[in-house]
Amino acid sequence: MISFKNVNKWFGELHVLTDINLEVTKGEVVVVCGPSGSGKSTLIRCINRLEPIQKGELVVDKMDVHDKKTNMTKIRAEIGFIFQSFNLYPHMTALGNVTIAPIRVRKMPKGEAEKLGRDTLTRVGLGERIENYPAQLSGGQQQRVAIARGLCMRPKIMLFDEPTSALDPEMIGEVLDVMRNLAEEGMTMMVVTHEMGFAREVANRVLFMDEGKIIEDAPPNDFFTNPQTERGKTFLSSILTH
Amino acid sequence: MWGFYFNELIRSLPFFLKGLWMTVAVAGLSLLFGTIIGFFGGIMRAGRNKPARIIVGVWVDLIRGTPFLVQIFVIFFILPGIGIELEAFPAAVIALTNLTASFITEIVASGILAVSKGQREAATASGLSGYQQLRYIVLPQAMRTILPPLVGQYVLLVKDSSIVSAIGVVDITRVGWLTVQRIPEGLMVFGLVGLLYFVICYPLINLSGFLERRMTVGSKRL
Repeated sequence: MISFKNVNKWFGELHVLTDINLEVTKGEVVVVCGPSGSGKSTLIRCINRLEPIQKGELVVDKMDVHDKKTNMTKIRAEIGFIFQSFNLYPHMTALGNVTIAPIRVRKMPKGEAEKLGRDTLTRVGLGERIENYPAQLSGGQQQRVAIARGLCMRPKIMLFDEPTSALDPEMIGEVLDVMRNLAEEGMTMMVVTHEMGFAREVANRVLFMDEGKIIEDAPPNDFFTNPQTERGKTFLSSILTH
Repeated sequence: MWGFYFNELIRSLPFFLKGLWMTVAVAGLSLLFGTIIGFFGGIMRAGRNKPARIIVGVWVDLIRGTPFLVQIFVIFFILPGIGIELEAFPAAVIALTNLTASFITEIVASGILAVSKGQREAATASGLSGYQQLRYIVLPQAMRTILPPLVGQYVLLVKDSSIVSAIGVVDITRVGWLTVQRIPEGLMVFGLVGLLYFVICYPLINLSGFLERRMTVGSKRL
C-alpha cells in the first residue's frame, strides 16, 4: 500500500530523512515514534506530498508520489490526514467541514454528502454537534470532526500526525477510541504518537526513528520488551518512567 | 453681499450636483475596476508563482511610492507623446483604478497571508485543487481581515478622486474652482464642496467601523 525505497529528504542543508525503506501493507497499523526532530512527522507528510522528497522512490496505492508529474489530487483524495492542530475550517460547521471535499473533489451530490457527513459524525460520537462551529467544540471533539472529515472521503489510508498531542489529558481517550475502532475495521493507518498504550494495544508494528533514520521496526511487544538499539532503550525508559 | 452670494450658490446647485455625479462616476468606476484588479493582484502577490509575486510587488511599490498627481499627469500628458490619446474622463478612471488596485492588492495579499498555513495544508490533504482552496477555504476566511480596510480604502478613493480635477474633469472640486470665480466667497463655496464629499464618505466610514467591530468582537463563528 505504501512503499518507501531509499527515500531521502532535505530541508535546505538539513538531512531530515536518510535512506528510508519501508513497506506498509493493506490493513496494517503502524505506529511511528521517536524523539522530536527525528523526522517522524516529515515521514508521513511525504506520503501525500505535503512535503516533497528529493531522492528515492515512494509509491502509494500503485501511484508514484516521487514523480513530479503525478496528479497528487487523486492520491490525496484516497488518504485521510489528521493534524496535531486539527486544522478544521473555522468558517464552516462540523457538517460543512466534513462534506466540502466529498462535494468538491468527489463531485458527490450535496444531499448524499450531507447524509454521509451526518452518519460519519454520528459514528465518531458527534451526532449532536453537526451544526456547531469548530470554536464551539472542545479539542477532543474538534479532532474527532477532523477524523470524520478524513473518513468522509472513504480513504484507503489514514495518516495521523500526533493526533492527541494538543489535547487535554481527559480528551485523549475519546480520540484514541475512534482510532482504535478504525483499526479494528481494517483501515491502513500510520500514526505518529507518543501514546505507548495505544501502540502496544493497536499497532501491528512500531517504527522507532532517530536523526532521520528508521532504527527499529518491530512488533510492539518486541519493541517494548526488547529494544535492539541503545537509542531505543533510552527513549523507552525516558517515556515510560516519567 | 453674503446673502446675494448665498442665493447665487443655491442657483448653482444643479452645477454642483453634476459635479457630484461626476465624482461618483469616476470614483465608482475606479472602485469597481480597482477592486477586481486588486483581488487578482493580491492573489498573485500572496501566491506561489515567484515572478508574478515580484512583478506585482514592484508595481505596488512604484504606485505607492509616487504622488497620485504625478501619476495622473503621466497618464494624461505623457501618454499622448507616445501616441496614446486619452480624454480627461478615461484618463482619470485609469489613473484612479491603478492607484486603488495597488492599495487593494496589498490589503488582499495580507488578508490571504493571515490565514494560517494549516488551513491550506488541510485543504491540500483532502484533495482540493489550488483554485478550490482559494475559493472555499482561504478567501472566505481572509475576507474577515480584508473587509474593514477595504472599505476604508474606498473612503480614500473618493477623497483622492478630487485630484482628477487637475486634468480638467469637472468633478465636485472642479465645480468649486469654477464657481469661486463667479462667487468669490471661498469659504462658502468650498464648504459646500467639502460637505458633498462628506455626504459620500460618512456612510462608508460608518460601514468600515461596523465591519471592523463585527469582524473582531462577533468572532464566535470565526
